[in-house]
Amino acid sequence: MGTVYITQEDAFIGKIDERLNVKFDKKTILDVPLIKVDGVVVLGRATISPATISELLERHIPLTFLTENGRYLGRLEPEVTKNIFVRKAQWQAAGESVQAIHVVQAFVRGKLKNYRNSLIRRQRECSDLDLSENVTRIEQAIAPIDTTQSINSLRGLEGTGSAAYFGCFNQLIRAKEFTFNSRIRRPPTDPVNSLLSFGYSLLRHDVQGAVNIVGFDPYLGYLHCDRYGRPSLALDVMEEFRPLVVDAVVLSALNKGLLTSTDFVTEPLSGAVSLTPEGRKTFLRLYAQKKQSEFKHPVIGRKCTYQEAFELQARLLAKYLMGETEKYPPLVLK
Amino acid sequence: MNIVVSYDISEDKRRTKIHKVLKSYGQWVQYSVFECQLNDTQYAKLRSRLNKLIKPDTDSIRFYFMCACCFGKVERIGGEQPRDENIFFAECADG
Repeated sequence: MGTVYITQEDAFIGKIDERLNVKFDKKTILDVPLIKVDGVVVLGRATISPATISELLERHIPLTFLTENGRYLGRLEPEVTKNIFVRKAQWQAAGESVQAIHVVQAFVRGKLKNYRNSLIRRQRECSDLDLSENVTRIEQAIAPIDTTQSINSLRGLEGTGSAAYFGCFNQLIRAKEFTFNSRIRRPPTDPVNSLLSFGYSLLRHDVQGAVNIVGFDPYLGYLHCDRYGRPSLALDVMEEFRPLVVDAVVLSALNKGLLTSTDFVTEPLSGAVSLTPEGRKTFLRLYAQKKQSEFKHPVIGRKCTYQEAFELQARLLAKYLMGETEKYPPLVLK
Repeated sequence: MNIVVSYDISEDKRRTKIHKVLKSYGQWVQYSVFECQLNDTQYAKLRSRLNKLIKPDTDSIRFYFMCACCFGKVERIGGEQPRDENIFFAECADG
């Protein structure tokens, strides 16, 4: 199963028999069986035939639209699952309930612990790095999580921890031509930020899909407050995966020299930096490889891929909210 | 499961139809030979679709099942290489 990325501007997405057929200039540029497709991502502009739309919905294949730079525009989502009990539990836990506080603690703990672990790992790999100060600062943010009972204070801890992490992100980049000062979004004005933003957009496509499969309403979150059109729950579940998936891909792409400064273009007026078509393809491929890479899930105790882990974490969250388990365990990897 | 499908169809029009159906379920590797990786439901669907198309007295379709272990041992010299199914790109060959 794989995700289809339509990177060709003005492509036509149609269907023939039970296959997804993408055409450009009246020539077929992709023809894959729909049974092999688990998501379609359109980057830039494309036309989709009505028959394809209904076929994708029928087969529960989500369709996401991103701009050519990877900014999220929206998505066409198959029917929300009929499992009303999950959604009911989700709504009952809204606000500052005991369950909401527990899962927010878990999301923040998961994210920060992964940040810490990845810094410690980097430090072990490169002996000339000294990240101990940042590690200590992240640890100081982790320590009070379990005793903090207010969601707003937890958001503050998350902010402190993230600041400590991004404060030394530049040192993790071993390629000389790239530097990182601080996280800049909307639009990202340097290559590293542009990669991070693009990666998080892709991750969001996948996590929102997983959250939907399990039966949640993606727009009601706990860590992220409600905002019109913001899939807060998807963003919540995404937190623990940010360092594990996206940051890891970005760092390996830069440090292994798979992407160089020639793979980026700057828009003159806004200063927005984005990938060239060739660079985008490289990055998409690296991201897909990462998603398919296997690790042993510490809670389930068996091997799984990150792609499966998105759904697994969403299922664990559903189990907790429905009262079937005592705790929600965030995915923390050593 | 991993299936190698080979077919021998006497009439051109029918053969084209069968070829088109098989393309939706697997990869065309040689003239009249497909390799498919399907689950039980998908296999049942494919078989029933083919069943409706063929004339059993003149045509034949064969499904050879391979265990995962044997499938990994397939050697290929030239021709179609297995498709990377983790990611698909739709873009023009000349960029």
